[in-house]
Amino acid sequence: MKLRAIGIRKFLQVSSALIILGLLVEIVSLVWFHPLAFVLFAFVGATLIGLGILVYLLSLVFASSTPTDNRG
Amino acid sequence: MSGSTEILVALIAVTIVLAAVFLVRPSITAGITGKVLAFVALCILPALCIDAGMSAHMQRSEQTQFCISCHAMQTHGQSLYIDDASYIPAEHFQNHLVPADQACYACHTDYTIFGPLKDKLQGMKRVYMQYVSTPPKVIEISGGYSNLQCLHCHAGARSFEENPIHSALMASLTTNQVSCITSGCHDAIHNVAEIGQLKMWSPGQ
Repeated sequence: MKLRAIGIRKFLQVSSALIILGLLVEIVSLVWFHPLAFVLFAFVGATLIGLGILVYLLSLVFASSTPTDNRG
Repeated sequence: MSGSTEILVALIAVTIVLAAVFLVRPSITAGITGKVLAFVALCILPALCIDAGMSAHMQRSEQTQFCISCHAMQTHGQSLYIDDASYIPAEHFQNHLVPADQACYACHTDYTIFGPLKDKLQGMKRVYMQYVSTPPKVIEISGGYSNLQCLHCHAGARSFEENPIHSALMASLTTNQVSCITSGCHDAIHNVAEIGQLKMWSPGQ
């Protein structure tokens, strides 16, 4: 259980890190008036944020699958 | 930066701060409040930021300045200042028949990013040509220029509908069988190869 709980925390940290990185890229793309800014946002920023959300959702699945959670 | 972009940057900043909380102290998700906060900070707000960012970038790419910021499009931008009313883009731009700050988008609403997937891929190909390979000397719209781009403003307009040539050709125009710009009627478009020889208009003259 402990190991699994640590795993979930790790998931959350990875998710947060990816989201923060993606959001920083998004800010750069918004203040940079250049045709490549859209490419930067769509292919780097949005991908990082999307991955972060995905990791967070995976952590929810992982958390709900812990046997102790179902015992109440 | 426009007002809506400032609001978006503020939203991003709030999301970063909230996400940073879970980066530093992921253990706060042990309680129900922490779980709800995590769902907002790591799912709802980031998704909102992607959506709002996409809208902001789409809005920005409608601006004339954005289009002509590509080197290959600079002569097209110059063609908006040709001092000759027979040049359709120049006539529309200089007389504000289209919004001056969205002059390109007004007549190219289905182009690259604004079109379906095929056009979006075509747009990416052009980005690749601009920054990695070499843009073609003559830039052409894949599949030709659709009359619908003219008709979305002109159709229904009295001056257009009452023109005997237009009314006689209406069926062919709406089905794109006769092109507005390559059938010999309105064929002075950007004509970028002639830019150097043409007289240009300077605003405020």
